[in-house]
Amino acid sequence: MSRILIVEDDDHIRSALRLMFEGEGFVVDDAPSGEVAMAMFSRMASDVAIVDIMLPGMSGFETCLALRGASDLPIVIVSARDDTADVVLGLESGADDYVTKPFVPEELLARVRAHLRRRPEKSTGAFKLGDLHVIPDEGVVRHGDGAELHLTSTEFRLLTDLASNNAKPLSREDLLERVWGYDYFGDSRLVDVHIRRLRMKIEPDPANPIFLVTVRGTGYKLVI
Amino acid sequence: MRRRSLRLRLLVTFGLGAFVLSSLVATVTYVGVQRLLINNQQQADLGQSYVNAALVRSTLYTSPPELSNLLNSIQNASASNVLVRTHKEWLARSNSASIYDVSADTINAVDAGRATEQTLHVDGRIIFVVGVPIPSVETQFFEVFQLSNLEHTLRLLLMALIFGALATSLLGLSGGLWVARRTVRPLTEVSNAAALIADGALSTRLLVNQADREVQQLTESFNQMVSQLVQRLERDARFASDVSHELRSPLTTLATTASVLQQHRDELTTAGRESLDLLVADLSIFQSLVEDLLEMARSDGGVEPVMETLPIIELAQQSVRSASRRHALDEPPVEVASGVDDPLVRVDRRRFERVITNLIDNAHRYAGGAVALRIDVAGNFVEVNVDDAGAGVPPEEAEQVFERFFRGLAAHDRGIARGTGLGLALVRDHVRTFGGTITVTRSPEGGARFQILLPLVRSEST
Repeated sequence: MSRILIVEDDDHIRSALRLMFEGEGFVVDDAPSGEVAMAMFSRMASDVAIVDIMLPGMSGFETCLALRGASDLPIVIVSARDDTADVVLGLESGADDYVTKPFVPEELLARVRAHLRRRPEKSTGAFKLGDLHVIPDEGVVRHGDGAELHLTSTEFRLLTDLASNNAKPLSREDLLERVWGYDYFGDSRLVDVHIRRLRMKIEPDPANPIFLVTVRGTGYKLVI
Repeated sequence: MRRRSLRLRLLVTFGLGAFVLSSLVATVTYVGVQRLLINNQQQADLGQSYVNAALVRSTLYTSPPELSNLLNSIQNASASNVLVRTHKEWLARSNSASIYDVSADTINAVDAGRATEQTLHVDGRIIFVVGVPIPSVETQFFEVFQLSNLEHTLRLLLMALIFGALATSLLGLSGGLWVARRTVRPLTEVSNAAALIADGALSTRLLVNQADREVQQLTESFNQMVSQLVQRLERDARFASDVSHELRSPLTTLATTASVLQQHRDELTTAGRESLDLLVADLSIFQSLVEDLLEMARSDGGVEPVMETLPIIELAQQSVRSASRRHALDEPPVEVASGVDDPLVRVDRRRFERVITNLIDNAHRYAGGAVALRIDVAGNFVEVNVDDAGAGVPPEEAEQVFERFFRGLAAHDRGIARGTGLGLALVRDHVRTFGGTITVTRSPEGGARFQILLPLVRSEST
């Protein structure tokens, strides 16, 4: 049984979401604010979180950052607006995915399930990116000196999926399908923001990537 | 009725006016000066003639044989021909004098003892004939003056006046041109500005400072009108946006609880299940409507598009794929015209996907689905055609289909699944933010072709 954390200040929506997820067999913890959510989160181990962006007090972005600081669990943000700036900020705050209000409940459910379903696949052996050692078996990335470079599960998945494609480019659609497990909810911004975040972590000069390169007209590829 | 051009009318009025006036002044001047000059000359000549007549008389008294010499010296001195007549016979004349210059009327009058003067126009020359009776010797003295000096002066004057009249007319014409420009320019500016505003450039205003006072009033009220219009539009847009934003939360709750009810579908009675189906069906329309309204509010409310330079073929393929999958529709093929390389366009990726989604959805609703998305390059534009094999859009609806909440005959006639009525309006809004246009024509299959024209991007650097 999966445990879901719902952070939403609108009582009606929160109750409705609780009912729906419970009906689908989830154990639901809900919180009306980021502060309450963080207090709850330290006591119980959620598998996935849904966070509304517009929260009183601690904002959804801050809540995401705090949750991400404490755990690698998948975070889906619920944005009231579909503005790219909001979406990007949310994803930069550590969220793995987002939906906009008014969302289709089945779509939210499908996304949450997709995130829970994915497990790190051992599709590729260990490889090196310059100074970095990527070890999919252990799910870690280490610097030459042995220090661990922390990647979220989505970032790790993105990296290993690109690596397993043998330096051939993958389109944004392919990546959405492989990494997020989506057939049809895709939004290419999801891929672009995660690629950018990954570059910040693995590229010596993120503005001029040498490993994770853009292939115009196609998508992205990993040069090992 | 064909509209006359204000500019042309001003030009003609000024030009013609200047011409008529200057011609009139020239004519009056010419005639006046001519009279004055001739009169003066005639007065002088007349005086001369009396003096000469006196000379002739005294010569006839003292030494008649000297007469011929006298006449010739008179001719030399006053550049006139002189003739003397006595007892109805010509007595003598200067060398170049001709008796034909003196008319019978003049001779008769002088014979009768009256001094006479006559102005003749012979072969374009002006001849002034003076006849003086000398009764004491029963003789008549005639002097024929040529006004040729005067003629030369008058010719010069005439030429100067014609030249002056022409110059004045030209000046009038150019003055007319200037006035016409000055008068018409503010009108042209107003109409250009109005056209820009009609095309959606709502920040367009007229410059007030540079205008004349009367025009200033026009520009000020024009600018005021536009400002009020813009305020009104913004208020309307904000209202729609506010309403949609307020609807979001309850709608989310409704949709979520409906899906909870779906989970408990088996526990419902038949009536309960049927009601639920209706509820869910209309909720989804409601949801699409609010989504479209929000999207529209965003573009109305000036949320800036995120413009990127992208390869159109890949973008179209991706958009078609995600649009078709999202709505579980058949995926139309993307066909690229032969010879088209890999054109780039500048668009907001998400909005472009929305455009393609809405067009495919529209084809699905009204025309049994899109048959193809066809890409071509025409001049400086990339063509993106979404073609179907349906009934097509009647020409009279070709503009209206892009209006908000327009429902064409097709929608009424065939009880087609309801759309939001905003799909194509959003398409047009988005295409315009890309600097493109959309029109509906006929597809090769005989159905509708929604044709998007996007400016071709020449190099990636821009």
